[in-house]
Amino acid sequence: MKLLIIVPAYNERENIERVIDQLIQDYPQYSYVVVNDGSKDDTAQICRRKGYNLIDLPVNLGLAGGFQAGMQYAEKHGFDYAIQYDADGQHRAEYIGKLLEECEKGNDIVIGSRFAEKKKPLSLRMLGSRLISGAIRITTFRKIKDPTSGMRVYSRRMIELFAHHTNLSPEPDSVAYMIKSGAKVSEVQVEMDERIAGVSYLNAPKAMFYMLRMVVSILFIQVFRSPVRLKEPGPKDET
Amino acid sequence: MSDTLRIVLIVASVLCLLFMLRKISQSKVRIDDAIFWIVGAFVLVIISIFPQIPSWCCDLLGIQTPVNFLFLFMIFILLVKLFYMTIRVSQLESKVKELSQRYALDHMDDEVKQDEK
Repeated sequence: MKLLIIVPAYNERENIERVIDQLIQDYPQYSYVVVNDGSKDDTAQICRRKGYNLIDLPVNLGLAGGFQAGMQYAEKHGFDYAIQYDADGQHRAEYIGKLLEECEKGNDIVIGSRFAEKKKPLSLRMLGSRLISGAIRITTFRKIKDPTSGMRVYSRRMIELFAHHTNLSPEPDSVAYMIKSGAKVSEVQVEMDERIAGVSYLNAPKAMFYMLRMVVSILFIQVFRSPVRLKEPGPKDET
Repeated sequence: MSDTLRIVLIVASVLCLLFMLRKISQSKVRIDDAIFWIVGAFVLVIISIFPQIPSWCCDLLGIQTPVNFLFLFMIFILLVKLFYMTIRVSQLESKVKELSQRYALDHMDDEVKQDEK
């Protein structure tokens, strides 16, 4: 089993060193790749100076495009699993092993879920999460408790799909579409930290638009998409 | 709004939805870009089913007939969309420019190295 940790980074000069140094020191058994998504600050220079494994995108593609570049890297280098890992220090590396274990049981997508066992707080911030959960539940009959969690492990056949598909992004609507296509999705309880430095790209209007986009996509688009044909899980082909 | 107009609007919206869904399954359009058309089609369907909404807006804005309001509304939405599209196209063009410049410069180094060997 080979796991690639994909770390998309956009203007993360304050966090990237701490996050990657911790991965290198404490988890040398995993490979990682930083995808610098055309940062305007010196994220790329920091990575080069420290000698990190870096995909340096010359222009900003957004999270989906950056993550996809990481998936292409995973596909090209024959990784069996890939995990999306935030560069801002919200994700905790100690849960990677737990997620990977769950994925090795034959799951295609394993979500690092804040609410798999714990209750979701009744806050305005979680309203979006609830709406998206509800939309997924109506359309796929599956309960995904933390659809917006960015910490997800993908299996080899997911890597091959996500690496090239125009409309598969690391977002809840793709998870819904994959469930519909017959992929096995499961959740594992994790804890997450608040981001330590820098600012989140999600402000209130952006978060609203994101929610609208997700709910419309799950309710009105993913339902009518014909399911993608999945490869049979099994011994991986050595190509 | 006449019943015929309402039916025409509903049929056009449904066709727009079907067309977008087809393009999505062909991977010809990104979902992010299709959302605008899908939400737009839904708004038109709702306006056609509940003509009270444009009538109410007419009274509010002092417009004579709902059809006129519909024209104004659509032109306004399309102008806003066009405005954002202009920005998108500009950004895309500068990204393509940056990419090809970077590609060319990076490859220039490659050729020099090959010549030295």
